[in-house]
Amino acid sequence: MTSSEKKILSLSVMVSLAICVPQTAHGMHIMEGYLPPAFCVFWGALCLPFLVAGVIALRKLTQNQRRSLLLLAMTGAFVFVISSLKIPSVTGSCSHMTGTGLGALLFGVPVTSVLGIIVLVFQALLLAHGGLTTLGANTFSMAVAGPLVTVGLYQIGKKLRFPKLLNVFLAAALGDLFTYCVTSLQLAIAYPSAEGGIGASFLEFLTVFAPTQLPLAIIEGILTMLVMMGLQSYAKPELALLQNRKRGLFL
Amino acid sequence: MITALLAGVVLWSLFAETLPPVPLAAISAATVFVSFLLGRHHSHGPTAMDSLARSSRLCGENASFKAAASGLLLILSTASPTPLPPLFLFFFLSGITVVMGNIPVRKYFALFWLPAAFLLLSALTLLWDFYRVLPENEVLSLPFFGGWLAVTPASQSLGGLVLSRALGAVSCLYFLSLSTPLPELFAVLRRIHTPEVVLDLCMLIYRYLFILLATAHDMRDSAASRLGYASLLKSLRTTGLVYGRLLANSFRRAGQCFDAMESRCYTGKIAFLTQRKPLTGKVICLLSIPLVGMTFGMFLT
Repeated sequence: MTSSEKKILSLSVMVSLAICVPQTAHGMHIMEGYLPPAFCVFWGALCLPFLVAGVIALRKLTQNQRRSLLLLAMTGAFVFVISSLKIPSVTGSCSHMTGTGLGALLFGVPVTSVLGIIVLVFQALLLAHGGLTTLGANTFSMAVAGPLVTVGLYQIGKKLRFPKLLNVFLAAALGDLFTYCVTSLQLAIAYPSAEGGIGASFLEFLTVFAPTQLPLAIIEGILTMLVMMGLQSYAKPELALLQNRKRGLFL
Repeated sequence: MITALLAGVVLWSLFAETLPPVPLAAISAATVFVSFLLGRHHSHGPTAMDSLARSSRLCGENASFKAAASGLLLILSTASPTPLPPLFLFFFLSGITVVMGNIPVRKYFALFWLPAAFLLLSALTLLWDFYRVLPENEVLSLPFFGGWLAVTPASQSLGGLVLSRALGAVSCLYFLSLSTPLPELFAVLRRIHTPEVVLDLCMLIYRYLFILLATAHDMRDSAASRLGYASLLKSLRTTGLVYGRLLANSFRRAGQCFDAMESRCYTGKIAFLTQRKPLTGKVICLLSIPLVGMTFGMFLT
């Protein structure tokens, strides 16, 4: 193949990838029944420590401050609602936010992991999105790994004295991207490629889902930033409550 | 439309060389056509499944039994070593959900549209692998960056197995969620000693969700009537503002709810009442057929 032929071929691949974007793009949930049982158990077990820490943190939080149970419930309902509503997107397809980055910035990782698993159960049973056998894998990628990166990056950005909103944008967008990488890795470990093994399969999954997930991450970052701006102007007392409790990070 | 085409391509790669080309082309074209027809009406609201579950005729059956049986069937379906048992399960449970539950067929299959995009895209990566040297037993192949993208019989059987397992499992999930409203499932979870605080949260989230959805729709409608979604930049800004305002409002509403609960002697414990639903012979018979069938299927293979 000559170099111009190669260029034309790679261009055609890119064009076909850009066009073959499915019409709906949610955060990347692994569907019901897609993972073999051993992997379902493995990912579930990996989430367990975070969930236990989350339940302990929740108990303490609600015992000390009963009002916070309702605040958390509202945030959970909010995350579900925004994940079920369409958001504007570049490709004309309809996308949906994941919203867990927002939860992580407000409540920290352990509490977000519990909120995340509840929202994932709701999504599986009410929106037919994700599933019960893949709940562990989805919880790990969306409610543990993504929020961990979001919170970590936010802390680093804070130390480096980034502007607050830029920091929120970067943390939320990169957290979302990391979620998509982890999901691709989960799929690749479960179904390695015949010749290249896990690495090749990981690259394949990354490529196939990239056209939907890359724009989604950027939009998620922008929206998280705008929601935080809105919260700062409309919900100062509640943010102050979170600040007093030292639970939230966006302060 | 694109998902419909994708369905055709996946079916073609799945059965290439196992079926003769003419019937295969006919089946693939029919799949594209049917998926296109189904996909045109795929937009269902977030509360659609909840209202279908409440109107289902199977809603009156015992929730614990339905949940336990669906859970077992889910496990059997994902653990199945061959593609046939999960496919039978899919047809059987879809039949039960639609006929016995009295769910409209069109609405039921439109629900499959949502996982279809994920399933088809990932089936494509399972079927087509990258090889430096063209494998000898390839079924379909395309030159790609100095190597080959090819489908082999091994990848075909893996793709078929994963697709059928996923279909079987999704039908279990739909059977459960289209026949049992969420609060009844929470009652089942309470019985197996899930932490109270988590269940309280679930119940409160379920209650607030409908209020927030209605508020969000009102806000979107009023923003749209003021041309808030006229361009991409404007719609991003509007969406951010709507979401921010929605979260701030919901925080405020949470405060008001808490005051109302305090004034009604809230002590940190929320009690929810559920209706008792006895176990009937009908549901035991219905669900024991696939349970026995799947177990036999596992042992026979």
